[in-house]
Amino acid sequence: MSTSRRSLLGGALALACFPGAARARTIEKLKADGVLRVAVYRDFEPWSWRDASSKLIGIDVEIGELIAKTLGLRAETVDFLADEDVGDDLRNMIWRGSLVGGTVSDIMMHVPVDRQFALANDRAVIGGPYYREGFMMACALDTDCEVPPPQFKGRKLAAELDSIPDFYLSGGFGGVLRSDVTHVLSGAAAIDSVKQGKADVALATRAQVEHAMQAGAERLKVRKGPLPALPSPGWDVGVAVKDDARDLADLLDQMIAGFRKDGQIDAILAKHGVTPHAPLSV
Amino acid sequence: MTFRITRTAGLLAGASLAFAAPSFAAGDQVTPAAATAAAAAAATAAGPTDADLMNDEKTPGDILTYGMGPRGQRFSPLTTINAGNVSNMVPAFSASLGGEKQRGQEAQPIVYDGMIYVTGSYSRLFAFDAKTGEEMWQYDARLPDGIMPCCDVVNRGAAIYGDKIIFGTLDAHMVALNRKTGKVIWNKTLAPFDAGYSFTAAPMIVKGKVIYGNSGGEFGVIGKVEARDVNTGELIWSRPTIEGNMGVGAGGKPTTMTGKLNASWEGDQWKTGGGATWLGGTYDPDTNLVFIGTGNPSPWNSHLRPGDNLYTASTLAIDPDSGEIKWHYQTTPHDGWDYDGVNEFIPFDMDGKKLGAKADRNGFFFVLDRTNGKFVSAKPFVSKTTWAKGFDAKGKPMFDPANRPGAPSTEKGTTVFSAPSFLGGKNWMPMSYSQQTNMFYIPSNEWGMDIWNEPIAYKKGAAYLGAGFTIKPLYDDHIGVLRAMDPKTGKIAWEYKNKAPLWGGVLSTAGNLVFTGTPEGYLKAFDAKTGKELWKFNTGSGVVGSPVTWEDGGEQYVAVMSGWGGAVPLWGGEVAKAVQHINQGGALWVFKLPKS
Repeated sequence: MSTSRRSLLGGALALACFPGAARARTIEKLKADGVLRVAVYRDFEPWSWRDASSKLIGIDVEIGELIAKTLGLRAETVDFLADEDVGDDLRNMIWRGSLVGGTVSDIMMHVPVDRQFALANDRAVIGGPYYREGFMMACALDTDCEVPPPQFKGRKLAAELDSIPDFYLSGGFGGVLRSDVTHVLSGAAAIDSVKQGKADVALATRAQVEHAMQAGAERLKVRKGPLPALPSPGWDVGVAVKDDARDLADLLDQMIAGFRKDGQIDAILAKHGVTPHAPLSV
Repeated sequence: MTFRITRTAGLLAGASLAFAAPSFAAGDQVTPAAATAAAAAAATAAGPTDADLMNDEKTPGDILTYGMGPRGQRFSPLTTINAGNVSNMVPAFSASLGGEKQRGQEAQPIVYDGMIYVTGSYSRLFAFDAKTGEEMWQYDARLPDGIMPCCDVVNRGAAIYGDKIIFGTLDAHMVALNRKTGKVIWNKTLAPFDAGYSFTAAPMIVKGKVIYGNSGGEFGVIGKVEARDVNTGELIWSRPTIEGNMGVGAGGKPTTMTGKLNASWEGDQWKTGGGATWLGGTYDPDTNLVFIGTGNPSPWNSHLRPGDNLYTASTLAIDPDSGEIKWHYQTTPHDGWDYDGVNEFIPFDMDGKKLGAKADRNGFFFVLDRTNGKFVSAKPFVSKTTWAKGFDAKGKPMFDPANRPGAPSTEKGTTVFSAPSFLGGKNWMPMSYSQQTNMFYIPSNEWGMDIWNEPIAYKKGAAYLGAGFTIKPLYDDHIGVLRAMDPKTGKIAWEYKNKAPLWGGVLSTAGNLVFTGTPEGYLKAFDAKTGKELWKFNTGSGVVGSPVTWEDGGEQYVAVMSGWGGAVPLWGGEVAKAVQHINQGGALWVFKLPKS
């Protein structure tokens, strides 16, 4: 199965196909019900994951709860399995729901705030950026983390399958490192393999690396120099609501800007070991 | 509220436990008919045996297997309805699947002991009286929230054996029901649905084993073929399709390695190499081989995985007793176009040779020696194949290097136009082989695709490199083409062009007839020799199921499911425009000749 080949119908055609799709709940209705349904990614440390007691925790979970609290509501948070791309996730969680039933959520956390992406996903309104994400390399203490990447040849490298770090390490530099890459199912797992001595180098998102440094910094160090020819300038992370909930979207934009100003976002990020990075799209 | 089941807590914790009793009894609904069926004749009381299944081609009074025989030829020796009188054919009855769940109906009916068994969208199984269409019972799998079927909520059919009717569900369970009452006999978890697994194919039963493949799963899962005891549902063997992975036997004991470690994969890519077997297979009693097709490799971008990437986009011949791979043939080595290789391989004999044929996604019709997998021929069955100029005498494609999508970079890669599109010269819908005309009847589609590499796409909240696809019809006036192909010469004897893409199976009969359905709602009958359209009937919704025929009490019946859906309406672009006016549905239609 290939990536993003199943982009489903968008726009008017989708409406024609799913005439019964429910309208988003108005702000009045949210207030009357007293509940804000929040969707977060499953197994997505440090943003949303389950601790040893199965409790759903993480940065996105806490920001969602903060939004609900500010609206005078209780957050009802669901962690969902990622589909082939974020456009599919928006369809499943925000504007249509799954074909197999289940309700849509009022807001989805951790949606890229990117103009091209928003144009291609016009059934959702995307905004309220709260972080700018990028990639970072972490190494075991006995590994020189600052060498040009081709010199990692023969070292054990770890990356999340199919991610930009995977493409960078497996496909970059003429593929010289391809046989040295161990593929795991998440960025967190890639860093864990360095922590556990199973790998020398991991490439993951900045938030994943910094969060891992919070507990276990004695076994990791971070590459300070740039990663040459990394095919990603970084991206902004925000929230999404259904296209007919623009009033809620506007409210969220203002609210999240307020949280960034008054330090509440910074505090949540810091709690999980992540350094605040202001989004570019504000 | 939405209750999502998570890996760490929930309904199916320890889902691998065997359920002796129905696991969801509380939620499943079985509706007994008002009238009970007449007592079955002693001959059928015990139900179909292994021998009956193997003999299905020769017993036109029943349909016991997916493909109307283990070889999957979808050919009937019946001649009561023929090219001379098919124009008189009328509906005998129609039976609605009801509910609000009118999505794609891709099933092939099973007919036995006065009953017609069909599966419906959303993992439902129905038993109808074969004479009247009266519903005898219905089983609805209770599907959990949060399952993620990739391409509509279809099911392609059930298998029958002894007192059981068996089918797979969208949450990756296999369920065996009592064929008379619909009560659950066993219910097994094949794979965790909350890791994205599902199940849509019709299971196959060979020598008391249910043999099936896998579908869905998180990115980077590998394909498997598995066998379970038909009476208990216990796993007998499991065979990964990617070289380097170990097979598993009963009790989870490792058996043998598939292929050779790192022969056609670098590093640890074989652990996540794709090759799903989501369409099931065929079986040849003659050589005692199960033939099953494998999906495309992952990751999508072929530049990241140099090598042939065995055994993706291949046909595998597997010994059903041991689960060992006896031979393989790869239809698209080092796939870079998403030419999934799952299509059916149909055994047939020609000039005294034991052969088999496969019409692949990649637009070529392959003939192989089914005893050893040796290449015989590969001929295009669609008007355009850009990715390869043809196949050489050794059975290797002559690639056009300019037609492989470029490596990704920080810029949007150059767009390549490739034909067929990733939806294939032929997709899942099964072709038919006529023992009367010795021709294959292939439901094909004429479309290509722009493919490019996206420098910035987003997945699971993060940037990643994606691939973009736009499917484009090759012609203004048609996409679907039903073609009659001579396997000896590769020549097309005739073709029928259809405006919308063809997405349903084909049936041929000794009455010089070929049947197939169209998204426009018609079941159509053609002269098998000339392709002349002899009869059509509009069922009220798109036909994407596989037609069958049988005889009962001296009358011949033809049946097909009606209900538009499947993967086609899920893609946008120009193809979606061609099908957006088609109404949903969900009904079994049965036809016969009027009594004079």
